[in-house]
Amino acid sequence: MIIKPHNPSDPLASEITPHSLYLKRRQFIGQTAALALAVSALPVQAIQTRDNPARAGKPWLREQIGSARETVFGEDEVLTPYSSVTQYNNFYEFGTGKDDPYRYASKLNTDPWSVTVDGECEVKGTFSLEDLLKGQQLEERIYRLRCVEAWSMVIPWIGFPLADLIKRFKPLTSAKYIEFITLEDKKQMPGQRSAFSTIDWPYREGLRMDEAMHPLTLMAVGLYGEVLPNQNGAPLRLVVPWKYGFKSIKSIVAIRFRETMPRTTWNDIAPNEYGFYANVNPQVDHPRWSQASERRLPSGLFKPNRIATRLFNGYDEVASLYSGMDLHKYY
Amino acid sequence: MIRLRRTVLFLLGITPFIYIGQAIVRLQLGEWEVLGPEPGKAVVWFTGTWAFNFLLLTLAVTPLRRLLKQPWLLQHRRMLGLFAFFYATLHLLSYFAFLLEWRFAELGAETIKRPYLLLGMTAWLLLLPLAVTSTRGWQRRLKQGWKRLHKLIYPLSVLVAVHYLLQIRSSWFEPVLYAALVLCLLLLRWRKATVTKHADGHNS
Repeated sequence: MIIKPHNPSDPLASEITPHSLYLKRRQFIGQTAALALAVSALPVQAIQTRDNPARAGKPWLREQIGSARETVFGEDEVLTPYSSVTQYNNFYEFGTGKDDPYRYASKLNTDPWSVTVDGECEVKGTFSLEDLLKGQQLEERIYRLRCVEAWSMVIPWIGFPLADLIKRFKPLTSAKYIEFITLEDKKQMPGQRSAFSTIDWPYREGLRMDEAMHPLTLMAVGLYGEVLPNQNGAPLRLVVPWKYGFKSIKSIVAIRFRETMPRTTWNDIAPNEYGFYANVNPQVDHPRWSQASERRLPSGLFKPNRIATRLFNGYDEVASLYSGMDLHKYY
Repeated sequence: MIRLRRTVLFLLGITPFIYIGQAIVRLQLGEWEVLGPEPGKAVVWFTGTWAFNFLLLTLAVTPLRRLLKQPWLLQHRRMLGLFAFFYATLHLLSYFAFLLEWRFAELGAETIKRPYLLLGMTAWLLLLPLAVTSTRGWQRRLKQGWKRLHKLIYPLSVLVAVHYLLQIRSSWFEPVLYAALVLCLLLLRWRKATVTKHADGHNS
């Protein structure tokens, strides 16, 4: 028998959704849905095809995600396998280990879900997820995600531009920043019960208004053609692909338009390590490691799949937002 | 009896190595998920944790022997210490191989820039002579110098504790627990040393 060692940085064929199949994903999803319907008559124990309850979701949301429009974003990228995207997460509300979110996030109840909007805008109030998504054409965008810890993934998100959402609330000209807040609920989020955490809950993030309105900034409700799993920030999360991952706040419950720069969680904990802007920048090191390169996941043991990090994570179209700014100072 | 205890201890000590070894073999044979999507990092953390565990166990032998009045515990200190060295060496090698990919130019630059790397490497360099001189022959040859040399374990334990503390991000539980254990074990020595300053000086 010939044992051929697998080059660990090459993804196995089975790891990645075949591109052809993924391009035909509506058909694929349709078939899957038909299959799901067919097996729904079987006893629950018999259906083990979905390994994670978070992948189910409400029918209306599944339907809306299923009819997402294809786009050209990231067409040429090799996708990170679904299992890595959903089992290797930072979501400290569920624990500090990378697999804690996958293990504990099923406790989070995302239905019903509502988002409170207030601050410097005309339209305020509390809106259900269904309201926020009503009439919204979803689209799929394949984005690179660069974590501040120097690893990266490529994820096919399903969502819509944040700008579309913002316009509905009619922000005033006094709104210079937008603040986002994650759910705080110790019952559902075991990490928030930890006495050893340095985080002052709830998790907060923010963007400057022009960053928030940039066409690349996405509000995601799904990934890989499915409802967003809880560990990935269900039911509604931000995706800002040119910034380090921690800016892309998960499980949003409040949006506030502000005149002043909001406090942000990681900037509060260690301002010398995590700036408000957090733009991906190979020139600006984290105090404990270089940001010049990154490990594209899945990474191998002997060939760690290291690639050079690009300014703004390669999304050069955002450069004009920062013209005239010293990105070493405003990191 | 002592041989049985040594065998059992050896088997226990080698278990983490067997665990990580089989995981690496399975990984190389294509079970790519066995150590998560960042296996290099996983191996470095695993070996580092076990090096620290054995370091703590080594430091605990003398106080435990006194507390439990079990003089035979001392017979096993060397093996515990050698396991600490073994896992520390694997930790360092896996860092070089899997995270740095043997880019030693980068190692130099990184070590100067990142204090936690400098502390970790210094600790390993201090551990090296202790491992080398752990045999009875060296013990005889160095006489009183051997005891003095092996007191290096105290400062190097502090370095290791700080090496870990410097990596705190959002949860300080484990680094602080390990540092507290080191501190406790060192304080027990210090108390003992001041109490028996003019006694036989037999314990170390």
